[in-house]
Order: sequence, then C-alpha cells, then structure tokens
Amino acid sequence: MASKGSPGASARTIGIQDRLRAWGQQHQLVAVETLMRLLSRPFGSIMTWLVIAIALTLPGAMWMTLDNLAQLSSRFQASGSISVYLKPATADRAGQALSERIKGFDHVAGVIYISADQALKEFRAGSGLGDALDLLPENPLPGVIVVEPSLTAGRDDVLALGTRLEKESLVDLVDLDTAWLDRLHALLALSERIIWVLGSLLALAIVLVVGNTIRLSIANRVDEIRVTKLVGGTNAWVRRPFLYMGLWFGMVGGLMSWILLVIGWLLVSGPVEQLAQLYGSEYELQPLSAGAALVLLGGAMLLGWVGAWWSVFRHLHQIEP
Amino acid sequence: MSMVRFEGVGKRYAGGKDALSNISFELAKGEFAFLTGHSGAGKSTLLKLMTLMERPSRGTVYVDGQDLGRMRSSQVPYLRRRIGTVFQNHQLLFDRTVFDNVALPLLVSGFQPAETARRVRAALDSVGLLGYEGRNPIELSGGEQQRVGIARAVVNKPKLLLADEPTGNLDPELSEEIMNLFLRFQQVGVTVLIATHDISLIERMGHRRLILDHGSLYERVEYGL
Repeated sequence: MASKGSPGASARTIGIQDRLRAWGQQHQLVAVETLMRLLSRPFGSIMTWLVIAIALTLPGAMWMTLDNLAQLSSRFQASGSISVYLKPATADRAGQALSERIKGFDHVAGVIYISADQALKEFRAGSGLGDALDLLPENPLPGVIVVEPSLTAGRDDVLALGTRLEKESLVDLVDLDTAWLDRLHALLALSERIIWVLGSLLALAIVLVVGNTIRLSIANRVDEIRVTKLVGGTNAWVRRPFLYMGLWFGMVGGLMSWILLVIGWLLVSGPVEQLAQLYGSEYELQPLSAGAALVLLGGAMLLGWVGAWWSVFRHLHQIEP
Repeated sequence: MSMVRFEGVGKRYAGGKDALSNISFELAKGEFAFLTGHSGAGKSTLLKLMTLMERPSRGTVYVDGQDLGRMRSSQVPYLRRRIGTVFQNHQLLFDRTVFDNVALPLLVSGFQPAETARRVRAALDSVGLLGYEGRNPIELSGGEQQRVGIARAVVNKPKLLLADEPTGNLDPELSEEIMNLFLRFQQVGVTVLIATHDISLIERMGHRRLILDHGSLYERVEYGL
C-alpha cells in the first residue's frame, strides 16, 4: 500500500497483488467505459455494427444453406438403393431365384423383387395411363430387383456390388445412381470454396471497416493520448480502450448477424418444409447450430480485434508528447 | 547525490540547428532552481530531455542516478511517473472533470479507487482547490487551471517537479501565488526546476538560477534579500 505523508515526501510503493487486482479492475473498467462511449454516439456505432453484421450474414447464410444441402445429400446416400432391371422376357421364377441369390451377396441388407406384372399394375395405378397401356400388345416393363445395400457399406462397396450385379446374365441394367450424388458433392465442394473466398474478402472488409472507425476515434482523442503518455501511461494502457472498441464492434456485429440469420431461418423454414412435403419428405431446415453461432461470434470478435490492432499499430505511435 | 545531472549534453534538431550545446550542470536532491533565458534559448528542450520527450544528440542525462541514454522506450512511462511536469498551456482535458484530470497519473499507475480519491483530494487541497473535484476545467480561471495542472503533477508524489513557464499567462499576483506553491513542495523534499522568463519574480525570490543563452548554459547564484 502507499505510505502516508505530505505530497512528495515519500516514494510510491504498490504491492504486486494490488497491482494485479488493479490491472483486472482496469480492464473491466475500460471494457465497460468503451461500450458506454460507443453507445453514447449510437448512430455512428450502429452504422459500423450493421456493416459488420451484413458482411458476416452473407457468408453465414450461404454456409447455413450449404450445411443443409450436405445433410440432405448424406441422407440420400444412406438410403441409396440399387435398381436392377432384368432382361425382358425373363421368367418370373428365374427372377425370383436371382433375387434369392443376391440376398447372399456381401453388403446386401435386403432385396425386393418386383415382377413385370406387378410393375405394370403399380404403373397403371400411379400414372393414370391405364387406358393407353391396354392398347399395347404386351407388357413393356421389365422385372426389377431393388437391392438395399447394408448401412455399413461404403461408397466403394456399393460400386463393387453394382459391378457384380451387372455381370449376372439375366441383368439388363443396373441403376446405381451415384453419378448425380458425385456431381452434387462436387458442386457442394465448389460452393464451399466460393464461400471461403467470399468470406475471406468480407472478413478483410470487416477488418478495414473497424480499422478505419478506430482510426477516426484515435484522431478524436489525440489530446487525451498525448496527455496520458505525458503522465506516464504505457503504450499498452493507451492501446487498451481501442482494442476493446474493436472487440465490441466485432461482438455486437456478430450478435446482430446471428439475429439476422435466425430471422432468415424463420422466414425460409416454413416454405422449405412445404416444399419438402410436396416431394414426400419430412425434411426440416436446420438452424445454425450453437457451435456454429459461437464460431460466428468468436470470429467476429477476432476480426474486430485484428482491425483495432492494425489501426492502433499504424496510428498510435505517431502521437508522442 | 544529485537528482539531475547533465554531462556535456547537446541537442541538434534535424536541419542542423543546435538547440543546446555542451550543457553540464547538477541539481541536488531537494534543490529549488530557476531556468531562464530568452524565448527560443532552449529551456523547453532542456526540460524535455529529462522526461525523454526528446533524446540528446550528445552527452548524458542522469535523473535520480539513472542514465536516461540507456533507458529503453518501454521504460519511459515509468520514468515519467516519477517526475511531475507542469506545462505553460497546462495540458488539461476538457472532456472530463477536475477530479478525473488530476487522477489520470494515478489511474495509469494502477492505484486503487479509494487510494486514488484520497490522493486526488490531498493534491487539490495542497493547491487550494478542494471542492472543485466535480467542476470542468473549462469553467475555471487561468490561475485555477494552472493549479489543477500542478495538482496533477504532484498527485503521484514525484521526487522531481519540472515546470515550463507555469506563470506564462498569469498576472504578477497570481504568478507569485503559484511560485509560493512550488516553494512549499520544495519544503517537503521535492526537487523543483522552473523554466521562466519572468525575471522580476526570480529576482525577488532569489534561489539558484541557470541561464540559457543561444543553447549555452551560464550559472549565477543569487542570494535573496
């Protein structure tokens, strides 16, 4: 503790513990004070916050969309069954025998045999083309064996199974239908890359916006900075409020972006559900996960802080008493 | 042991003009001295060398036994905390109260709020401004503003007090009041160096006198009446 005495008579002495406590208190004080300062000029602050929020929301929304598409496509993969079309004029019994044999193949979970007659009946019921079908001299549809690969089967296992099925003499065509999945995955990977590029550019924009805002703030407080340095304020002390300002810009901007994403999700999820129902799916649009929201917020704070550092590093050293 | 020692100090600004040349002098601990000379003689530069607002081109400056030439810039804030400085234009901040202005040196040194409040009141009391804590410095007269500046300079209980034209804008009566204030700090052990061109005041007060003329230092010891 400081010793008592008349002004100037004693040296200043402070213990390490007091110093640490004061340091912590000072950080708290500066954090709160900086936020108050931002809120005391709401118009300028809100503009900066909105710019940050929008810059974050764009890649955030795209990422959310992509995440949903990826989840959707992984469901397709899990339920991807193989349609094995038999040669026309394959006898019903031969078809049944083949399907029994396929049941014993590796990576096969189940087999459904649909005879040509059955297929015709279903088609007649489902398509409404019954009258037209009656005009045909014979059943144009082949028998089909629907093979359900086991859930543990990987993509390569399913492909190998497809080749094996193709070699069967009664088989006309194997519809594995992984090609469109491959294309979808390639498309998703491309979109992800585009989001990264766009996201990086917008992140840079955030750093520049925060940096510029803090440059103006430094210019407004030149006197204070000079006097603080005159009476023994360290560079860290002088930097601190500006770094906190960057953190606040990032944090509030991130929160606003999260709110925008939630609002967007609420607006879109209803129509998406309706659309999914039209396709006979129970699919629901997934909101941003808690983890992703934290990454968004943490990333925003980091960007704000980096912008502040960049500005402080460039401008603060020029102000000397 | 001396509080301040200059050894062959010279300062040349970019452009080749010598602001100070070959300055050597000592200030003993607890001494009270004036630094005089025409304007532009280098008084401010000499004071700035002691708080490392400027670094000398030649020679060595010691403050409290410490060689300032060896001091890294990261150590400069800690040096400034041990030296109180009063400026002609007082360098007060008009966006905060008198209390906050005076408290600034304590705040940057990491003092607890209670101790800060106690010391700020003591410092304001010592310059006769107790009760002015909540006022804004812009409402105060020139003399009062200067006294706030002095309170801020002494609030950290420095061993060395430097003043650059502290009475520059004040009438003779107020000037004498301010000078008496500095004398009172010297009486409790502070080393005081005051740069001023107010010759009549100096002659009345006596004390040691360092005279700068075109960057060179002369000394004359005067004895008060």
